[in-house]
Amino acid sequence: MYKLLSDTIFGPATSVLRVSDGACIPCDPDNTDYAAYLAWLAEGNTPEAADEIKGE
Amino acid sequence: MVIDQRNAGASVTITANPQYTLDRWFAGVTNASKISVQQNAGSVTPPVGFTKYLGVTSLAATTPASSDVYYMQQSIEGFNIADLAWGTASAKTITISFQVYSSLTGTFGAVILNAPSNRSYPFNYTISSANTWTSISVTIAGDTTGTWATDNTTGIQLRFGLGAGSTYQGTAGAWGTANVVTTTGATSVVGTNGATFYITGVQLEKGSVATSFDYRPYGTELALCQRYFQTYAQPPLRGTCSATSATSRMAMILPVVMRSAPTAVVGALPIYDGFATTTVSSVIQSYLFAAQVEFDFNTPAVLTAFRPASVYQAGSSTMTLSAEL
Repeated sequence: MYKLLSDTIFGPATSVLRVSDGACIPCDPDNTDYAAYLAWLAEGNTPEAADEIKGE
Repeated sequence: MVIDQRNAGASVTITANPQYTLDRWFAGVTNASKISVQQNAGSVTPPVGFTKYLGVTSLAATTPASSDVYYMQQSIEGFNIADLAWGTASAKTITISFQVYSSLTGTFGAVILNAPSNRSYPFNYTISSANTWTSISVTIAGDTTGTWATDNTTGIQLRFGLGAGSTYQGTAGAWGTANVVTTTGATSVVGTNGATFYITGVQLEKGSVATSFDYRPYGTELALCQRYFQTYAQPPLRGTCSATSATSRMAMILPVVMRSAPTAVVGALPIYDGFATTTVSSVIQSYLFAAQVEFDFNTPAVLTAFRPASVYQAGSSTMTLSAEL
């Protein structure tokens, strides 16, 4: 299971959260964990929505 | 085998697939809790010139089903095998050498593969005397076909088989197209409860002669490993509290540029803003790059807006970064 991380005023989200171990996974195609996330999406799964950000 | 950032010499039971053990070496298993891996498992005397080895212990007498696999692997980055010119008519011959020790004797299997696992060269080696370090050298003609990456992705997979079902056994001594982990008929380490398999001094080099092991300074070896994995206690993250003090942003430059943007696992961090201390544990967002990492944290109100924020040296907070292949 994955969860999106919040966008901030500095730009869009650049990573996703792997819920099982709290790992932050960068949106980098050379990262093997991101490749696994993309494969998970391709299976029709949907990540949890991001939490609302409190401030910046 | 001198670097063990994840486990610092402790034994780990392999429950995931893949599961990294000593630096750059992962265990591949289809069933959990059948093997353990530890730096210097069993505390035998390493071969002359070495102080560390990777030790595998079988935790059960396991008969692999047809599609079961048990193996140790190192994936070698494409940049580091580009000079072999594999996948071309100019493919160079390589020689793989290592020192191995087992409670079992017989013919054992290992395999070289490309990243898609559709080009493979299984090979045999023999351990004639139990519980004795044996030097092995195997020369392999380079593959003139197939796709062999020469960038920052996997160039070569080197697998040492510990046991596999028929689907993942291959004929020794010839290039083929099957994704295998060992050779047909090879000794199964997992087949004997308590069996041991220790290995060190693994070297893959161009040419048909195994030269003496290339001992590198410890600092060099650590830096080479940190391209793929880094671990920190109290990572030196520095930054600032936000205007509302509800968040803080902290960053650090990495001591070694990683292979790719890394996956980060961040524990609870002790934070100091020059006045108050607190602990942050919730990452709102991360900005992960090969040369630097940056995080936004939810921050307790005890911190003051606009003050600097830094992780201070207390407690047992940790951060790991992984850009493994």
